[in-house]
Amino acid sequence: MADPLEQFAIRPIVPILVGNVDLSFTNSSLAMAIAVAGAYGFIMLGTRQHAMVPGRLQSLVELSYEFVANLVRENAGRDGLRFFPYIFTLFFLILFGNSIGMIPGIFTFTSHIIVTFFLAICVFLGVTALGFWVHGVRFLGFFVPKGAPKIMLPLLVPIEIMSYCVRPISLSVRLFVNMMAGHTMLAVFVGFIGALGVFGVAPLAVTVALTGFEFVVAFLQAYIFTVLTCLYLHDALYMH
Amino acid sequence: MARRGLLAGLLAAGGVILADTVLWAAEDKGEGGLPQFDVTSFPSQIFWLVVAYAVLFYLMSRKALPRVAEILEARQDRIARALDQAARLREEAEELLKRHQARIAAAQQQAQRLLRESQERLQEESARRQAELERELAARLREAEARIAAARERALARLDEAAAEAVQAAVLRLAGIRLSKRDALAAVRQAGEARVEA
Repeated sequence: MADPLEQFAIRPIVPILVGNVDLSFTNSSLAMAIAVAGAYGFIMLGTRQHAMVPGRLQSLVELSYEFVANLVRENAGRDGLRFFPYIFTLFFLILFGNSIGMIPGIFTFTSHIIVTFFLAICVFLGVTALGFWVHGVRFLGFFVPKGAPKIMLPLLVPIEIMSYCVRPISLSVRLFVNMMAGHTMLAVFVGFIGALGVFGVAPLAVTVALTGFEFVVAFLQAYIFTVLTCLYLHDALYMH
Repeated sequence: MARRGLLAGLLAAGGVILADTVLWAAEDKGEGGLPQFDVTSFPSQIFWLVVAYAVLFYLMSRKALPRVAEILEARQDRIARALDQAARLREEAEELLKRHQARIAAAQQQAQRLLRESQERLQEESARRQAELERELAARLREAEARIAAARERALARLDEAAAEAVQAAVLRLAGIRLSKRDALAAVRQAGEARVEA
């Protein structure tokens, strides 16, 4: 039985070494490139005809555009729409990264903690910087819960700060663990198919069901990552 | 100023964290268990993730999103225009309807006036004719009555004369007296009146 974790191994395709830092173009980088091409191709192909009455693909493109726009508007507020292109890119990069990972043989770059953590830390730092940019020092008031008794503040403020700083970790771990667990589980069940002979039908059925389930997870996790980003953005813009 | 300082501090902190990660990854060449914790692959993953995000962001914000927005706006415009036109046409139709209703109302009024006028005229005419007829009939009646009265007078006179002649003849035969015509007539009239009184 093949190692179910082997699929997460990173293999260089084009070795690149800058100084003594390895920046090789790897199977992960290839998946990222495919995701970028896929996301961009999806939109450009869908809007190719500029149809007044949209066809199937154009409807899908328009739907996803309005889906993300509504998501930003509802979760980050009107001012959040300034960041719509950033959020849209984030959503589509994660969505396509998760989705193309479902194609056998294609690497799932969102199953690596460093990728999701880097995305999350960028969101975290960007949003925090934005908070200070918009509100100045008063943004620190975000860590002081309104209406709390004064005596409780020495306890509450550190908790607030801690929960704020844990955000990039929870944000990144959620996505990474979901993707990794799903793919590991799929690999494990696929391994059972051969091992059980005729009775391999059972794990095959499970694999089919799990595959469908994983597509839902792929979308859902991209959605959750985006929604939470928007909510953090809202906190920075409106401080509640 | 404080805002700038804070921002700079934050960005610096982020930069330090990243630089540390990269350096740590560069130093540690050990083989871990999970591929996810193999730090030697981190710089490459971060680098290519930044490249991927930057490229996708450039393509989306410069090409793809404006195109979708343009399509959606064009459709919105067209729908708005169509709605405008529909509202205008509706107003026009309502205007027309109002004008037609006014015309119908005017025509109805005129028709009623004509009807009333002709009815009045007819009534007047018939009243006039009736009055004329009544007058004529009354005149004829009076004339006929006069004629009847004259005829009666005449008949009565002739009857008296005949009676007087009969009286003259009877008196001559019975008494042998020749009675004058005037006396005989007077006697007849007297007897007639007495009979009438009885």
